[in-house]
This record gives sequence, C-alpha cells and structure tokens, in this order.
Amino acid sequence: MIFNSLTFLLFFIVVFLIYWFPLKYTTKGQNIFLLLASYFFYGYADWKMLPLLIVATLIFYYLGRAIAGAKSEKQGYWLTFVGVALGVGTLLYFKYFNFFIESFASLFNAVGLHANLHTFNIIMPLGISFFTFRLLSYIIDIYRGKGQPTDDIIAFGTYVAFFPCILSGPIDRPSFIKQLQAKRDFNYDQAVDGCRQILWGLFKKLVVADTCAVYVYSAWKDVAYANGSTLALAAILYACQLYADFSGYTDMAIGVGRLLGLRASENFKTPFLSYNIADFWRRWHITLTSWLTDYVFMPLNIKFRDLDKWGIALAAFLNMMLVGLWHGANLTYLAFGAYHGILFCLLILFGKDRVPKHATWYNRVIHVVLTGILCVIGWVIFRAPDMPTAFLYFKQLCSSSLFSVPAYHQGLLSLVSVISYPVLMLATEAYAAYGEIHPAKNIFRISWVRWGWYYVQVLAIWLVLTHRSIDFIYFQF
Amino acid sequence: MEKSQILDEVQAIFREVLDNEEIVLQSATTADDIEEWDSLTHIQLIVAIEKHFKIRFTSREILSWQNVGQLIDSIAAK
Repeated sequence: MIFNSLTFLLFFIVVFLIYWFPLKYTTKGQNIFLLLASYFFYGYADWKMLPLLIVATLIFYYLGRAIAGAKSEKQGYWLTFVGVALGVGTLLYFKYFNFFIESFASLFNAVGLHANLHTFNIIMPLGISFFTFRLLSYIIDIYRGKGQPTDDIIAFGTYVAFFPCILSGPIDRPSFIKQLQAKRDFNYDQAVDGCRQILWGLFKKLVVADTCAVYVYSAWKDVAYANGSTLALAAILYACQLYADFSGYTDMAIGVGRLLGLRASENFKTPFLSYNIADFWRRWHITLTSWLTDYVFMPLNIKFRDLDKWGIALAAFLNMMLVGLWHGANLTYLAFGAYHGILFCLLILFGKDRVPKHATWYNRVIHVVLTGILCVIGWVIFRAPDMPTAFLYFKQLCSSSLFSVPAYHQGLLSLVSVISYPVLMLATEAYAAYGEIHPAKNIFRISWVRWGWYYVQVLAIWLVLTHRSIDFIYFQF
Repeated sequence: MEKSQILDEVQAIFREVLDNEEIVLQSATTADDIEEWDSLTHIQLIVAIEKHFKIRFTSREILSWQNVGQLIDSIAAK
C-alpha cells in the first residue's frame, strides 16, 4: 500500500476519522488503534512477515526491561549483546545470506574446488532494517544509561511499527515513545503543514522522480550504445530521481504523521547544497547516518582514539562501508560505500571536513558544484547492476560524444520537461533554504502566489498521473 | 580537585581544540549548544582531556555522557 495509491487514501481517511473522533479523548485508545492500523498496513504489504515484527517487538520490549534491571554491569552487557546479535543476525539472514553463499561458492570455484552450494529462496521482509534499527537503538540506549525502559508495551509497539515510517523511514529514536504517551490535540496549523508536506512529497515523487526515471532507465538499458552526453545527463537525473523519490516519500511519511499529531524526524536538509562530502552525509538520509554515527562510528572512534586522525579516518571509512552495505548485498553498494569512505577519509586527513563559517559566495559555489559532481559519480556506481557496467558507463561518458546533443527519443519537449521538473524542485528547495524555511512550510508570503504554487503542484501531479507510477526505490532497503 | 576547577580546565581544553575562545561551558551544556562540537571533534576533545588529566575513560563512560556535567563527574571520580 504505497502512499500515492487510492487504497492508502481510503485507509488513511478511515484511520484519521476514527483517531480524531471516537478516540479523541483517549491517548491509550489512539495508541492501540495506531498499533492495529500499523500492523494492518504492514500485513497488507506482506502478512507472512507480520509475526516476525510482532515477535521481535515483544523480545526487545522484555530485553529492555531486563537490561535496566540487570544485577551487574556484566549481565547488562550480555543481555545487550544478545539483543544486538539477534537484531544484526536477523538482518544478516534476510539481507545478506544468499550474497555470502554466492561469494563462498565463487571463492571455492576460483581455487579449483567445485562447491555445490545452493542459495535459498529467502524473502526479505519489507522495511526490516528500519524497524530493526529502532529496536536496536532502544536497548543500546538503555544499556548506555541514556534511556529508560518503557512499561507501555502499546506505545513501544507503535514506535516500532508506526505505519507512515515502517517501510522507508525516517528511523526515529526511542524519544518518539514519549510523543506517543503525551496527550495529542488536533492542531489545525500542524495539520495544514502536514498536508503541504504531503503535496510537496507527491510532487517530488510523481512528477520529478517518475519523470526522471523514464530517461534514466532508457539510458541505462543501452549503456554500450548511448552517447556520453546522454549518460552525463542520465547520471545527473538519476541523482535527482533518487533524491526526489526518497525525500518525497519521507515528506509524505512526515506529513501523514503530522496529521496524526506526531512529529517524525526530518531526513534531508537540502543535500544538493552540501559544501563537501562530510557535509553531504549530514544532510542526506540524516536519521540513518546519525544512527550509524551513534552506534557504529562513535564506538569505533573511541576504540581507535590513540591513532589520532588516522583512527577517525579508519572509523569513518568502516562506517561508510556499512552505509553502502546497508543498501543490500551487492558489490556495487560496497564499492559505493568504499568510494564515499575514501572521500571522507581524505577530508579528515587533510583537515578539510568542516564547513567554513565565512566562506565567500564563489568558494561556496565551487564547493557545492564539485561535491555535486562527486555525488553524481557515486550514484552511478550505486545504480549500476554490476561493476563492469559501472566502468563501461564511465568509459562511454568520457568519450568524445560527451559534447554531442543528448538523446531525446520522445521529442525535444519531453527532454525540456524532464530537465525542468528537477530544476524546479531544486530551485524551490534552495529558495526555501535561503529563507531558512522548510520547503513544505509556507514559503510564499503573498497569498495568491502561494495558492498559485499549490495549483502548479496539483496540476503537474494530475498531468503525470496518466503514466503508471513505479515503486519507491528505498522500500527494498 | 573541585568540580568548578575541573570545569575551568575542561573549558580551556574545549577552547583550544575547537579553536573558539568564546566557548563558555556549564554543567548543562551539550553538543547541540556548540557548533564546532560534532562527532568528529568529540573524540579529539576526549583525547585532549585524557592527556591533560592523565586518566583513561572506558568506552561505556564516554558513550553515556549526555552533557558536560556528566563528563566532569567522570573526571572527578577518577
């Protein structure tokens, strides 16, 4: 049940009405209903995996209480260790098991041993890494003394399975449980903000991402025969597609949450305006990078602290490799992580990881453009089905045909529209960032401009709705 | 050593490592209050504090701090 579907609209109308009318005066009732609605939403997508979600929630709920009540530090450590092993083990099994079997088989074959290993038909539960990360941060925070276990199993279950965020994030932290336990009143301004954010998310997903996707797909289909300029344009458009797709979904998730009086974490902060790669990772998929910073990078950093800058660089590199692998078991994701890891390390070792406070405008523009190019190169590796295709892509891109006119199979007008939509999106978000306003907020003060802007978004969505929508890219992670 | 004296010395270390003479630390100060204090500079601060006070923190201690006050408490307990 994706957000831009009629099924979701009907589902959400029912949820919204029951949540704010019969259940208005009972927070507990709202939470029980939200939990049931979330399980229905998840089960509707993949009912066979619903027991896994429920059992994992119960195990971690009781583990959290056991860790807090541990008689000794050692006992607390081992209980946390069991929880982390369970969470990471489940992730490894569903996401990476086949990858390891295939890798071992090819390794055996390479040394002349003909291993007859079969891969298993493992179906990966949707959103598994998103809810596993929520469960892990809950028990680790309790072990570190940064959080208290909750005795409200309903609020805990809702935090883990909250339907707007379970399939593709944002990855909220246990502090979200406090929001669920607080009384919620319907707030008109917050609800309007939520609607604006949903509209902006729909525009980014349906208009920008899906339009770019058509061009990107056709370029990637025939990499060997495409000219350099087509591949260069497709690489830029893929970066726009990925951003519009993922941040568009996140905007819709946050907007839906706001309509229910809950505030999910922001996940993006104009990443296309990043000053350098370190800055990019503070602005892109913020809830994942901050999660990995707290639970992977910092512990590694502490262990390696005697190595000075080299220790920080090593921890950053390993962290970026995990970011790559988090996307799935594929060498291209590993290469993507290594690529960003190397860029990150260079910044740390040369002491250039900070964003200077008083950089001149041209210095800023040069850095933003260079960072953009580096990111686009990274996304090519990310998008490639395998490494040889990625290398072929770069080879073709750097040929003399880079200076020819890009291909436009569906007419010049379609090429103009495919470029103008992402430009409109980026310009709007850059304008909002300049005014330090969230793009989903009231960015235009003059009433008729604001309403004109809403109509432009609705009209553009209506125009592209005649085309079939494709899946959200980030569901698979 | 008095906690106020530890706070003064830690403040001097923060000013030197983060290259900002205007930093003023209080018990309730967190990383959100100081722009230069992020995940990358955090470890540099810890190493500098360990060297200055000739102490060694455990990983769990470092990961449990939520503000400067808790850091000062850990130093005072050594």
